[in-house]
Amino acid sequence: MKEKKDKKTILGRLQKTPLWKKEEFSEIEYEPTTVKDLMTEMKNISELIIDLAYSAVLFYNKEIAEEVKYLEVRMDKLNYDIRIMAMMAARTKEDAEQLAGILQVAQASEKISNTAGDIVLLLQDKNRPILSRILNKADEKIFRVKISSNSEACEKKIGELKIESETGMRIIAIRRNNFWIYNPQSYAVLKANDWLISRGSDEGYNDLDKFLKGKLKVLE
Amino acid sequence: MKKKSSEDIVLEIKDKSELMVDLAYSSLLYNNKIIAKEVYDLENLIDSLFQKIQKDSLEGVKNGKLSVNSALTLMRLAQAGEEIADAAQEIVDVELRDVELHPILKLSVRESDEILSKIQVNSKSILCGKTLGKLKLGSETGMMIIAMKHKNKWLYGPNKNTRIDQDDILFVKGPEDGEKHLIELAQGLSNDV
Repeated sequence: MKEKKDKKTILGRLQKTPLWKKEEFSEIEYEPTTVKDLMTEMKNISELIIDLAYSAVLFYNKEIAEEVKYLEVRMDKLNYDIRIMAMMAARTKEDAEQLAGILQVAQASEKISNTAGDIVLLLQDKNRPILSRILNKADEKIFRVKISSNSEACEKKIGELKIESETGMRIIAIRRNNFWIYNPQSYAVLKANDWLISRGSDEGYNDLDKFLKGKLKVLE
Repeated sequence: MKKKSSEDIVLEIKDKSELMVDLAYSSLLYNNKIIAKEVYDLENLIDSLFQKIQKDSLEGVKNGKLSVNSALTLMRLAQAGEEIADAAQEIVDVELRDVELHPILKLSVRESDEILSKIQVNSKSILCGKTLGKLKLGSETGMMIIAMKHKNKWLYGPNKNTRIDQDDILFVKGPEDGEKHLIELAQGLSNDV
C-alpha cells in the first residue's frame, strides 16, 4: 500500500480524462486500510489541498485546480472508507464513543477539502487583481520559482537539501516538462528547469530563490 | 484608529482560520482544553468578521467604490476562511467532549507530513530574551510557532515583536528535522541559529 501511494506522488500524472472524473465514477472498492492510515492521509490532504487551491487561483492554473478536484473526490472516498472501518472496529459503547471522535475529525478534514474546491471556483471570476493583492499580503505566501541549471539543487533530493528546515519553505508542487508532482516527498529529486511552487515567508523565499538560481551555493 | 479595509479583514480571516486548524490539531495531540477553547473564541471572532465583510462589500458596491466582481471575490474568499474555521471548531469539539480521545487520533496528527510539537525553553537557551522577528525561527529551522505559554498567559499566533523568555512553552509546526534543531536551541544544546 505504502509503495503504491509513493509511486503516485512521485511520478505525477498525465491523463486525458480528468482523474477526479475517473475517481468519481469508479466503483467504491473495499480496501482494507487501517483507520490510522486513513486518518493520516485525510489530515495530510486537508493541509495540502488548501495550499494547492490558493496556488491555482493565484497563478491562474487550471491543472492545479484539476488536482484539487481530484483530491476532493479522493477525500469523499476516504471519508466513506473510514466510516466503514470505524463501524467494524466498534465492539462496545466505549469503543463507539471514541471512534465517533475520529469520524468527526475525518468529517472536518473532508469539509476543509470541500472548501478548497470552492476556492478554485474563484478561477472563473474575472476580478483577478484583488485576489492576488490579498493573497500576497498573507502571513505565509505562495511563490513560484524555476531551478537554473547552475544551481546546486539540481539532481539532489529534497530531503538531502533540507529545504524546509533551512528556509521554512514547504514545497507544494513541482512542474517538470508536462507533468506535475504534487506534495513531493523527501526522496523526490529536483532537476534543472523544474518549476517549484512553495509556501513560506519572504525571508525564506529570498534564500530559496537565490539558491535555486545558483546565486547561493549552500542553504544554511 | 485606522479603519481596516475589506481586504485586510479578508486577510485576517484567511490567516486566523489557518491558525485555528493548527491549534485544533495541537489541542488533540496534547489534550489541551485551553487551546481548544481559544479555537471557539476565534471562531466567534471570524463569524463577526465574516458578517462585517458581507455588509461592507454590499455597501461598497452601492457606493460605487467596489465592482460587483471584486465584492464577490471578497465574500467568497471570506466564506472559504469561515468554513475552514468551522471545521477547526468541529475538531476541537472532540477534545472538549467528556470522552477520552482514541489513541489513533494522536498518532495520525503526530505522523503527518507536517508535525506538531511542544517545546519548553530553558534558561541556557540562546532563544531567551529575543524577539521572533530577530530569531527568524521560521526561515532558520522551518518551525512556525502557532501558540506559546508565557507564565500563565497564552499567546496565539505570535508576531515578530513577541519575545521568548525562559520557561516559555512553544507549540510549533514544521518538518521533522526542524523539530530536532529547535529542541537543541531551546535546551541550550546548540547556539547555531
